[in-house]
Amino acid sequence: MTVLRRSNLLRLVVLGAPLVLVAAMILGPLAIMAAVSFWKKTGLTMKPAFTLDAYATFLGGVRFTVFLRSFWMAVSSTVIMLLIAYPVAYAVARKVRPDLTRAVLFLFSVPFLVNYILRTFSWADILGRAGAVNDALTGLGLIDAPLNWLLFSEFAIYLGLVTAYMPFMIFPIWLSLSGIDRRMQEASWMLGEGPMRTFLRVTLPLSLPGVFAAAIFGFVGAFGEFAVSSILGGTGYQLMGNSIVSALNVINYPLAAAMSSFSVLIMFGLLLAWFRLFDLRLFLGKIMGRS
Amino acid sequence: MSEPDKYSNQFGRRAFLRGTAAIGGAGLMAPLLGGRALAAGGLTVTLADIGVGDPGGDWSKFAEATGNAVNLVAMGNAPSAVINQLLAGGGLKTFDIVNIVGGMQKPLAEADLIAEIDTARLPNWERNSYINQYLAPGTPGFDFIGYDGKTYGVPTVLQADSFAYLPDITGELDSYGALFDPKFRGYVSLEDNYTTAGQKTALYLKANGLAEIEDPADMTPGELKTVIDFLIEKKKEGQFRVIWSSFEQAVSLLVSEEVHVMDCWEPMVFVANAQGKNVKYAAPREGYLLWAMAAYLVNNPDRSAEQTEAAYQLLDFMLGPWYGATITGLRGYMTNPMAPEYAAAHPDEFPADAAARIAAIDKGVQDKFAVGGTWQNRWPTEVDLYEEEWQRFKAA
Repeated sequence: MTVLRRSNLLRLVVLGAPLVLVAAMILGPLAIMAAVSFWKKTGLTMKPAFTLDAYATFLGGVRFTVFLRSFWMAVSSTVIMLLIAYPVAYAVARKVRPDLTRAVLFLFSVPFLVNYILRTFSWADILGRAGAVNDALTGLGLIDAPLNWLLFSEFAIYLGLVTAYMPFMIFPIWLSLSGIDRRMQEASWMLGEGPMRTFLRVTLPLSLPGVFAAAIFGFVGAFGEFAVSSILGGTGYQLMGNSIVSALNVINYPLAAAMSSFSVLIMFGLLLAWFRLFDLRLFLGKIMGRS
Repeated sequence: MSEPDKYSNQFGRRAFLRGTAAIGGAGLMAPLLGGRALAAGGLTVTLADIGVGDPGGDWSKFAEATGNAVNLVAMGNAPSAVINQLLAGGGLKTFDIVNIVGGMQKPLAEADLIAEIDTARLPNWERNSYINQYLAPGTPGFDFIGYDGKTYGVPTVLQADSFAYLPDITGELDSYGALFDPKFRGYVSLEDNYTTAGQKTALYLKANGLAEIEDPADMTPGELKTVIDFLIEKKKEGQFRVIWSSFEQAVSLLVSEEVHVMDCWEPMVFVANAQGKNVKYAAPREGYLLWAMAAYLVNNPDRSAEQTEAAYQLLDFMLGPWYGATITGLRGYMTNPMAPEYAAAHPDEFPADAAARIAAIDKGVQDKFAVGGTWQNRWPTEVDLYEEEWQRFKAA
């Protein structure tokens, strides 16, 4: 009995401590941010109040357009990233020899060894009018004049986002795919289904928890992005991150807090929806259960 | 006193005594004497700087003269970076001086983050004729170092901005109109800054009678809207290739010929020239965007009198000839009138070509100030609206 109580106490401490830490380090700042979003800006500082001024400025001005653009950019780039990451993860899980899997996965992490900003700047050099891509295309005689849209365009932003966040998405999808019991597919084949229908009705549904975990990685990263849009976006392509930084530059903390709070609220709603539609515990269970 | 002697060891005790004896006025002597008596050396002055004020890490002359050391820390130039580092970052307690682009006295002084400068404690202040010439109280330049009739900033750098262009491609250019000329459509870049790009546009519109703007440095909401509407119209026509936001990016855009006309800072032209590219900095007929860097004394009520005196010593050193010559040579900005003389008189420290370059930069900036223009306004009356309108331009 005493042993049981001690065990319960230990469990409470082991689980409770991280929970308290998370609450203090994440929920605390979020609560402060939400509170500040209702405060009143007074010159260089602000004072506690309950005003919706910051929300009115955000929702009634150009910044809401920026929010919608960011949202669309994050959704569309996440879909593109999934369309690339899934086949890659599938190939790694099913086609690569098991003894080479780790090496291949390591290769996908190599880009992260280079500073993110430097990587983004290097795209500007590669895609510019005098960059390597335009040089090659001109040299091969495929184009007469450099392609302007390669850089400082939506294409460049998509490219920057995909190369920045897509590799992150390969890992959860691979994890999900590699955890599927192959006997399920074999059963499907034995019951007469072809490879495509087996994939669509067995493999894909079973890998969805990983897909949605990956989607969260990609979406959150793309939505909060500001360096890619600054460096590759051209004529002031604005995403939410840029707009929030700009408000901070004139010490408009309530406005920055209102934009951030609104974004967090939307993210939270999406996460709840995802959790309700797809049981991410399946995915997490696979991670926890792996040796 | 020979020319070289004039500049040597200005913080030496003997030099100080000679100086104070010459000054003779008891009223002026008291604070100087008090300050020197308090400054015992062995202190470290913390200077937060945006990168322009770093003399290549060499503070040996200051250390030799005062016995004090300098701890240089990096600081962003955006108002938020300054405020955040002073308040949230604990800079109010740890920084002695912040050296940033000036014109920030109003927000900083109103928030009690900086202290008024007692110019009598800075022997080099009186020697610096540029202060009287360009930054005297009652002139627009004073707004870069003063507020409400009080002096808060020590001017460490003076400069006049315009735009850069590639003459081999564009031909000679002498108007901001080049930034909006359809001939260069798709090959123009602006800085991501409403107090530079926005103000230069206002200067162009006003000077050419294209808009009624009373003061490009402090526009009314209606005037600002006119400027931003104009920029949006040009943006939609495809005039601008990119809005740059970092020094390296701007240089790269010029060197790679990605853009041919660029609203930017002159040192970018120097770097592009050093990389073998023929880039020129324009002398626009509409005038220049004038600005100065200001070293502010952080208002730390807990700082000891000795530490404050050491900070004053550093401020004075930053007004001095060696520091000025070094910064002009390194960064390409005008500093103080003693700088080119010092460089010419000290070939052991500044070879003839370096001294000539320093003199040329100094002369060049003086010529620009003679032409005039508009003083950059870092904190316009409608600063929130400026930011909002610039967002409108960027998001358009």
